[in-house]
Amino acid sequence: MQDLLFATLAIYVLGMISAIVLRRAAGRAAVAVFAALGSSMGAAAGVSVLVSGREVPLAPALSALHPQVQLQADPLGAVFLVLIGLVAVPAALYGFGYSKSYEGRYSLAALGVVLNALLLFLTLTVTATSPILFLFAWEGMTLAGFAAVLTEHDRQPTIRAATWYVAISHVGFLALVVMFLVLSGGDLSASFADIRTNAESLSPVALGAAFLLALAGFGAKAGIVPLHVWLPMAHPVAPSHISALLSGVVVKVAIYGFMRISLDLAGAGPAWWGGVALGIGAVSAIGGVLYALMQQDLKRLLAFSTVENVGIMLIAAGAAIVFRSYGLDELAILSIVACLYHALAHGVFKALLFLGAGSVLHATGSRDMEMFGGLSKRMPWTSAFFLLGAVAAAALPPLSGFASEWMVFQALLGGARIADPEGGAVMSVAAGALALAGGLAAACFVRAFGITFLGLPRSEESEVAHESPRSMRAGMGLLALGCIALGLLPSVIVPLLARAATGVEGRGAAVPSMQLGLALATPSGLSSFSPFALATMLLVAAAAIGLSIRMLQGPFRTRLSVTWGCGRFGQTSRMQYTATAFAEPLRRVFASVYRPLEDVSVDYHPDSKYFVYRITYASDLRQSFAAYFYHPLLLAVRIVAMRVRRLQSGSVHAYLLYVSLTVLLVLLVARVWH
Amino acid sequence: MASLFSKIFRTGLVTEPFSPVDADVERVLEAISARTRNLLGRALAIREVDAGSCNGCEIEISGITGPTYDASQFGIHFVASPRHADMLLVTGPVTRNMELPLRKTYEATPDPKLVVAVGDCARTCGVFAGSYAIVGSVDTVIPVDVFVDGCPPTPTAILTGILAALDRR
Repeated sequence: MQDLLFATLAIYVLGMISAIVLRRAAGRAAVAVFAALGSSMGAAAGVSVLVSGREVPLAPALSALHPQVQLQADPLGAVFLVLIGLVAVPAALYGFGYSKSYEGRYSLAALGVVLNALLLFLTLTVTATSPILFLFAWEGMTLAGFAAVLTEHDRQPTIRAATWYVAISHVGFLALVVMFLVLSGGDLSASFADIRTNAESLSPVALGAAFLLALAGFGAKAGIVPLHVWLPMAHPVAPSHISALLSGVVVKVAIYGFMRISLDLAGAGPAWWGGVALGIGAVSAIGGVLYALMQQDLKRLLAFSTVENVGIMLIAAGAAIVFRSYGLDELAILSIVACLYHALAHGVFKALLFLGAGSVLHATGSRDMEMFGGLSKRMPWTSAFFLLGAVAAAALPPLSGFASEWMVFQALLGGARIADPEGGAVMSVAAGALALAGGLAAACFVRAFGITFLGLPRSEESEVAHESPRSMRAGMGLLALGCIALGLLPSVIVPLLARAATGVEGRGAAVPSMQLGLALATPSGLSSFSPFALATMLLVAAAAIGLSIRMLQGPFRTRLSVTWGCGRFGQTSRMQYTATAFAEPLRRVFASVYRPLEDVSVDYHPDSKYFVYRITYASDLRQSFAAYFYHPLLLAVRIVAMRVRRLQSGSVHAYLLYVSLTVLLVLLVARVWH
Repeated sequence: MASLFSKIFRTGLVTEPFSPVDADVERVLEAISARTRNLLGRALAIREVDAGSCNGCEIEISGITGPTYDASQFGIHFVASPRHADMLLVTGPVTRNMELPLRKTYEATPDPKLVVAVGDCARTCGVFAGSYAIVGSVDTVIPVDVFVDGCPPTPTAILTGILAALDRR
């Protein structure tokens, strides 16, 4: 078992080397094979940890390098090892076909190295057992992601996105360093076990500060509102299989970090920790999906939906903290399981959707939904897979999103058991927020699928779109199977996740009685559902509807003709319902959130207003966070930087003065200190 | 509020009983009603197309739905889209600008469909014949089942034409 994880890391290194050594198809194949092999072995190690319930200390070979290099796969980390495997194997397979279009344009070697390096650092992050190792792996992950985002480095939006990404990530990194310093009492090379004992002796104020720093630091990576601005910029510009990894796995690893600190290392926190996480989660969930609804760029839409789902995970994690502070351990475990399940479910369906969007981009060369349409006829496989992913993302039964969000709901509804009225009220508000986000997500994905794949093509590129090559379809197919399996088999998977949750609990609470039957019941017997019965009912209903339509149709024959458009001249497919028009009613309802900017200008004949030459309509959403938070901040930073620049006079004498003054100051401080 | 309700209560129904202009109309309406019920099992849905009329025919057609003829209660129903229609009621000579829309409307009407061309212009182009703006009579553009003569035809004549078209099926 130890060798399995060591082999995983070694295979990633081989993948990086082969990317540099081998060229063209051989290079692409080697990169994909090594990435898939490594991540599947990591996932196998994760599964064995979850099934056996024992922690696996990893790789004495690595410890031989340096005694500090201690890796360990405990049940919580194992869940994320499995997630990495679930997403990375299909993404690597897909990447083999997808990266062919990069041949000759961008460096395939760099792309291959980045893919394997990203997976290597992800694996290290979830198995690290000391802050210094964790921070090293975390920073490696950030930089690998940065390089991945920069793949198409000659485009202005890419550079801008990568800059935002790396800047916000490093602010988050700073918060994490300080947080670990607080928790470990200043010793970053202490093991997590030492930190656990050290945290017990810390004051509530210090622990609270550490919690907030962890929330900010991990939140910056996970894309919680208001630290999310980089995410919808950076995820879309990366190559699609990397986007799938960034949205499907990297943000989840941030959730892993948050759970590791707030539920494990920092001990049992007070209820307000959970309240803060719940609040930010609810705002992220609603804010993310509201902005997702308005996007025209398909991949940007998916990135905003990631913000929403991170919010949902944070709601579940926050609920776990609240329940634990009130001593409701069963509900706390249910919340943690729901959070982990949603991490898996979202990882799989969002990766599927990103790969689907990548296929559309591959076929049409565009990410703009207003250019698509009619792709279901031209790309039947891709559209079927995307539809499956969209149904899962809209949390409809019987797919993965429904199973996970159902559990989050059950956990929140369990908030009625909290004796404190405030606690119960917070839970019910969070449940309402989750319901709103779920409804809006359904609208969002109806729009994403309908405008992209149905109707008639709105551009020549969509008219001649082609289906993706076999490797890309296989990647999507695997993820589609994952969506179905996660939707149908929660009763098998939940007990395994509960093991991770009880490990996090750290209190030796009994594994909750999640039934291992066909139906899934919550531990407190609050409610239950059977995914198989639900799936069967839906299939029967669908068949019945199809049959009754056929019967009602009677003896009449079907005739195909042009869409009725009031007999107008020059009717084109551009006159179909557009993505913007579909979202317009919701834009009006939520106008106070979006604060839309609209500009209509009409060119008349100089003599009469009745002769209109041209009408132009432009509309944009005010990016409230950028306008009211980041722009003033950046301005302030720039002003300070300009002031500081005056110190750089260029005169050697001045620099000598600085040096001597600094030495003097250090000596003085040292003198006073002792 | 109370005075409003008491006014409504005190006033009662003010619609007049159906009083057809002549016995002939009632006979035609009853026949249409029976025929559509027999043929369709529901009301007859008509889409009116003005292919370039002077609107004289339109005034008469709107008279059909007015209180005097009150065709709705006999199951004649004007609809907004040819997709919902069983019958097209076309008026006027077909102008160049309306030729394509008329063809498209005919194309968009589900089979089996009936076409009734209303007014002299629909058959002969009337005073507009020979104009540069005119394509021709209605039957040069789409197949016509029944022509209704008159400039403009009376509502009774139009209803008789509708009945004649229904009887062709």
